Amino acid sequence: MLSVKDVDSGYGNIQILNGLSLEARKNQLTLLIGPNGAGKSTLLKTIYGFVKTTNGTITYDGEEISSAASHTLVNRGIGFLLQRVSVFPELTVEENLKMGAWSFKRDKNRIKDRLDYMYDKFEILKTKRHEQAGLLSGGQKRILEVSRTLMSSPRMILVDEPSAGLSPKIAKEVYQVLHDLKDEGITMLMVDQNIRESIRYSDHVYVLEQGRVSSESPAADIKDNLKEVVESWLKF
Amino acid sequence: MEAFLAQLTNGLIIGCIYGLMALGLTLIFGVLKVINFAHGEFYMLGAYISYVVSQMLGLHPVLGIIIAVFAVFIIGMITEKALLTPIYENKVDQKDEYALLITFGLSIFLINAALVVFGPYQMSPQPLANGVFDLGVLSVSSGRLYAVILAVILMGITLFIINKTWLGTALRAISQDRDSSTIVGIDAKALGSIAFGIGAAMAAGAGALLAPVFLVFPIMGVVPAIKSFVIIVLGSMGSVKGAIYGALMLGVIESLGVFFLSPSYRDAYSFLLLILILVFKPKGLFGGSQWNN
Repeated sequence: MLSVKDVDSGYGNIQILNGLSLEARKNQLTLLIGPNGAGKSTLLKTIYGFVKTTNGTITYDGEEISSAASHTLVNRGIGFLLQRVSVFPELTVEENLKMGAWSFKRDKNRIKDRLDYMYDKFEILKTKRHEQAGLLSGGQKRILEVSRTLMSSPRMILVDEPSAGLSPKIAKEVYQVLHDLKDEGITMLMVDQNIRESIRYSDHVYVLEQGRVSSESPAADIKDNLKEVVESWLKF
Repeated sequence: MEAFLAQLTNGLIIGCIYGLMALGLTLIFGVLKVINFAHGEFYMLGAYISYVVSQMLGLHPVLGIIIAVFAVFIIGMITEKALLTPIYENKVDQKDEYALLITFGLSIFLINAALVVFGPYQMSPQPLANGVFDLGVLSVSSGRLYAVILAVILMGITLFIINKTWLGTALRAISQDRDSSTIVGIDAKALGSIAFGIGAAMAAGAGALLAPVFLVFPIMGVVPAIKSFVIIVLGSMGSVKGAIYGALMLGVIESLGVFFLSPSYRDAYSFLLLILILVFKPKGLFGGSQWNN
């Protein structure tokens, strides 16, 4: 579904990704793990066009998207959940959700259907629909970000550190939401430091080191070697 | 008493029109995070365009104001596309310094262009209306009264766009988180141009409305621009509410200063007010509030 081939990218003169290649398969959750500075988040930002490639190609459903403008990717069915809090803090919960429907803003019926769907799925958003998003708790903000991403009915979501800054209990709920999305047929490419938790929901794992893939395997295989993988980073 | 009320009314009228200009400046700052040092020159452009339309072409002054607002909206959008795009394409390292220098350079260019085209002379456009509007306890010049009504209408339209439309919500979203707005599919670059155009058009509207009061000449925008900066700083950078209240406060303080103290220091009163407010409220009147507040 998404293919990254021999990609180089970075910030200014600092190259972070060095000929990185990987694939995210349809209806699967592909997990990216690796030590800090390995290039995991940079890869997601490069796929979404926030960081430009200097070499290599990125294709999605057979179409090259390496040079596509970031704001057009949502129209191709790709969503992005950033690592940091990314709600619009001074817009209401409902305004945030409506912004997620920007790509079909003239279709009032579709917007209403999507809003109703989100309010059914996440009742807390319905309760707080007229409150400013900045006043929500950390977990509620994460739920709002997920819902806002889902408003456009994406077929694939890039997920960067979904549990960052959340309590273990809330993080578990967020993982469950992501797991449900996978069951609904949404493909995901996810970066996560919380390996023990995230690997339970993953299908395939890539280990990144120094801006390239050092190893890959089905998640089931890594689950058994998890301790060795982490120890190898510590040596690194 | 009558003289006092007249000064107070005059202050509110001038404050409303400064508010229009300051709202434009705060809109540009909120969405683009750019301090537009050429804001006063868009004010000047608006005044010249309305002058040309009403005096040289002989059309109605209201038509002059409308044409000035639309023309500067287009000029503003083109300017943003031509000069500020490098900031958002990561083509410059020192983004703030680049924006400061490029808008400052634009300001100098526009002043000199006006000097070349119109000369250094002060021109006097036709007022919006002649005569005096008698309110019983005080009389207001009809021209100024119509000017303030138009200023309030322009501000109302802008506030409606900001608060009640998809475009306005998207602009507020960009002002709060540019990357997130991109992720939901908003073309922040294109909307940034529109925001700059609207901001510049508001300055042009203020210039066109105040042209019959303060006359039209190439450096006419310098003092109003400085006052707009004072307003948005004392009202809190990026706060819409702050820009409006700040402008009204500035207009009233200036007029009362003229009435009670001396007209010679009219422009100094605004800076005194700024210093006093920043001493007691360093973040401005609406400290910490965002552009959409």
